[in-house]
Amino acid sequence: MSKLYPAKPPLIKIEGVTKEYRPRQGFFSRDHNKVLALNHIDLSIEKGEIFGLVGQSGSGKTTTGRLLVKLEEPTSGSILLKGMPINELKGNTLRDYRSKVQMIFQDPYQSLNPYLSIAETILEPLEVHHIGDEITRREKVVDTLDTVGLSPGLDFYDRYPHQLSGGQRQRVAIARAIVLNPEFIVADEPTSMLDATIAIQLFKLLTRIRETHDMTFLFITHNLAAANYLCDRIAVIHEGHIVEVNTAEKIINNPEHPYTRKLIQVQPSFAFDRKSCL
Amino acid sequence: MLKNPYIQRFIKGWQIFIKNPLGKTGLIILFVFMVMALASFFVPLISPMYDPMTGIDPDIKISTGPSLTHWLGTDNVGRDLFAQLLEGAKVAFIVGLSSAFFSIVIGTIVGMISGYAGGIVDTILMRIADIIMVMPSLVILLILSSLFGQFNIWIIVFIIAILRWPAVSRVIRSQTLSLKHRPFIEASMVAGASHLRIIFRHIMPNVLPLAFLYMTFRVTSAILVEAALSFLGFGDPSQVSWGMMLQWVWKSGHMFQAPYWLIPPGISISLLTLAFYMLGRSMDEVLDPRLRKEGQS
Amino acid sequence: MALLSVQNLIIGYQSQNGLLRAVDNISFELEKGRPLGFVGESGCGKTTIGMTLMGLLPSNARILGGSIGFGNKDLTKLNEDQWRNIRGKEIAMIFQAAMNALNPVYRVDEQVIEAIVTHRPDISATDLDKRLKELFDLVEIPQNRMKDFPHEYSGGMKQRVIIAMALACNPQLIIADEPTTALDVIVQDQILKEIKIVQQKMNTGMIFISHDIAVVASVCKDICVMYGGQIVEKGTREEVFGSPRHPYTKTLLGSYLSLDNKGEIIVPDMREAADLKLENGYCRFAVNCKICSRACKSRKPDWIEISSTHKAFCCEESVVRNANE
Repeated sequence: MSKLYPAKPPLIKIEGVTKEYRPRQGFFSRDHNKVLALNHIDLSIEKGEIFGLVGQSGSGKTTTGRLLVKLEEPTSGSILLKGMPINELKGNTLRDYRSKVQMIFQDPYQSLNPYLSIAETILEPLEVHHIGDEITRREKVVDTLDTVGLSPGLDFYDRYPHQLSGGQRQRVAIARAIVLNPEFIVADEPTSMLDATIAIQLFKLLTRIRETHDMTFLFITHNLAAANYLCDRIAVIHEGHIVEVNTAEKIINNPEHPYTRKLIQVQPSFAFDRKSCL
Repeated sequence: MLKNPYIQRFIKGWQIFIKNPLGKTGLIILFVFMVMALASFFVPLISPMYDPMTGIDPDIKISTGPSLTHWLGTDNVGRDLFAQLLEGAKVAFIVGLSSAFFSIVIGTIVGMISGYAGGIVDTILMRIADIIMVMPSLVILLILSSLFGQFNIWIIVFIIAILRWPAVSRVIRSQTLSLKHRPFIEASMVAGASHLRIIFRHIMPNVLPLAFLYMTFRVTSAILVEAALSFLGFGDPSQVSWGMMLQWVWKSGHMFQAPYWLIPPGISISLLTLAFYMLGRSMDEVLDPRLRKEGQS
Repeated sequence: MALLSVQNLIIGYQSQNGLLRAVDNISFELEKGRPLGFVGESGCGKTTIGMTLMGLLPSNARILGGSIGFGNKDLTKLNEDQWRNIRGKEIAMIFQAAMNALNPVYRVDEQVIEAIVTHRPDISATDLDKRLKELFDLVEIPQNRMKDFPHEYSGGMKQRVIIAMALACNPQLIIADEPTTALDVIVQDQILKEIKIVQQKMNTGMIFISHDIAVVASVCKDICVMYGGQIVEKGTREEVFGSPRHPYTKTLLGSYLSLDNKGEIIVPDMREAADLKLENGYCRFAVNCKICSRACKSRKPDWIEISSTHKAFCCEESVVRNANE
């Protein structure tokens, strides 16, 4: 194949990334205990896909998400956005990166500053990146609130987190993540603290945002069934290693790795007919 | 408007606070002293005889006991003791509150920066705090005073603040450390907020309640240090304060002869500091849900 | 004969917004050998029921009415001393993240011994030893791990110790409140199997509370579906999950994600939280119900029998019955 026209790089590429944690020891002791949260992982995420990262607690899935938003740095290996490495970003280039890559956090009760109104929370990214002026910012916030289903946006504008339910707070978190129109969003277990009926509504919202905003998502979860519902492709992660990557359909119906098979086998299931629920 | 979290927190805190007998007592005592402090502005207007510093009763040249014109009596040059007591209340509040305020401002800023920055900045700041913390503030003030002559009250306030901020900063630093990793702080980082913005917009509102709590303890210590300083003769000689009153009763040799002169300032110092302490303890209960009694959420 | 018979139970919480009825006039019966599952989402009252059955309601909660028949006692009328006699001995609880309930400074066997000795203070040393071995065998923890400390155990093993401690005195009733929610799915599988084995071997009555339908379905034979403090549907597992009748049960099942139905999930449109101040008897699901009619807001729902064991709580009979009934 000619190298003159290389294929377009994936939106996100993780190459040989390792993340070590060294618990702090005394000055004189030798460091033998390191924890390898991630062990040489490779991952590619294409533009426009909803990519699932499925693993149990301690598997390294959350660490992966945090590395992608630069809340932490890899010990070795590199992460590339559209072919450009993000390791050395500082100052303005880092801020630029942050306008392109956002995160939705897991705990709706902790991811909003209780002292800021909803408007102030969603305005923050706009203010930090000096986008628009007071009037256009206000419009954008109201618009975004409507987009995430908190309608009418003006009603929710001046409210505070403690006045909202868990599902509504998570919608605010989503609004904050999309207000800058980023290219890529890491959703770290966004529904694991919510009821099933609310979670499903949020999944519908995320799918809609993928269409309307041309968004790419990394969906981190411990729930294989949720990943199957939402995602195009799924990577299964276990103890810092990616054990299998494939389309959702193949992972569920044709799992190759024994760990994946085990995950599927232990899903509790019961007989019921969905048609009876209409 | 009413839904603003600051107001909500205040209302909720008030409801818990007011149930605590310690809080109620402290508040009542404080109220009494506040009235006294306010009265001190008006009493000299009744008659120049009642000016605490210069008001000499022309008829009295020695220390006398309580009477109708002088409710607590007079000191050895004929000045009204009650007026002095009121003036002392005013000074105690001013010294206590301003000194505490300055300590809090310094301590909070240092604590937030130290906790947030971590690493070498944290180490340096905290070592400085440790060094200052172990210095006995009274002794330092005495030494400085004997080197530079008697200080005016505001210098005393300032020096107490400088010597007392470390305690605050330690607490604020721990609070900052635990807040630093809360998801909403990380969310702001991911949004691209600068460190300064995060410290002042996100961390500060969450540590301020704790800062106010510690302010009450700082008030206590400031009042006590000023009183001790004045009692030992190193206070501001142009300012009447309770400590000063104790200095005078001692220096003029009336300590055991004039209980009406000795006891009021002594009790006032104890009661006021006790009141602030009670306030602080019940605020602690408001701020730390684990300390609350059963039945309160 | 029913092991547990709850009639018209009402439990209220005093909160800043007034009196909330966390549990609104519920009735159910529990038979030995037929584990009963309570399934519902947050705020539905299922955990409150669990707490009530252990006498562990917080101080701002009150039993406002009804009765709980257990043996020859009414559990709503017990004082703290009487509860202490029952808790752990006749009724035991396994709760969520219970592995944090193990004291890190004592060995595991010491903690199980404490559970036994609290209620049988004059047990002989040989009997104690025998019982200890029985319990560890029952939850499949090898003998050579008995003297370990809790931090040496995995999450699943810790949960199994908690189960052993709950069983220590051979209780008649076990209440399991979200026992596997904090566990990995692989460990959850093991623990659920463990619970089923234990329940069958010891023939204890069991109430299993969870928000996860599949987990409840794997353990329980009878189900109560709860919403807003009311039971909206009850029946056998096959009836409730195989042929759901109440609109909420259908919503819940419709949103359940399993591995084999990507295209058929029905996304509900539930915006409002249940109103727990709503007066006794009115349907709390009405605000979110798609089929709800104006009549639902002014009439009180009643139990509509679909079979001798299967009932749904609704105002509209036509909603609940199938077209061909």
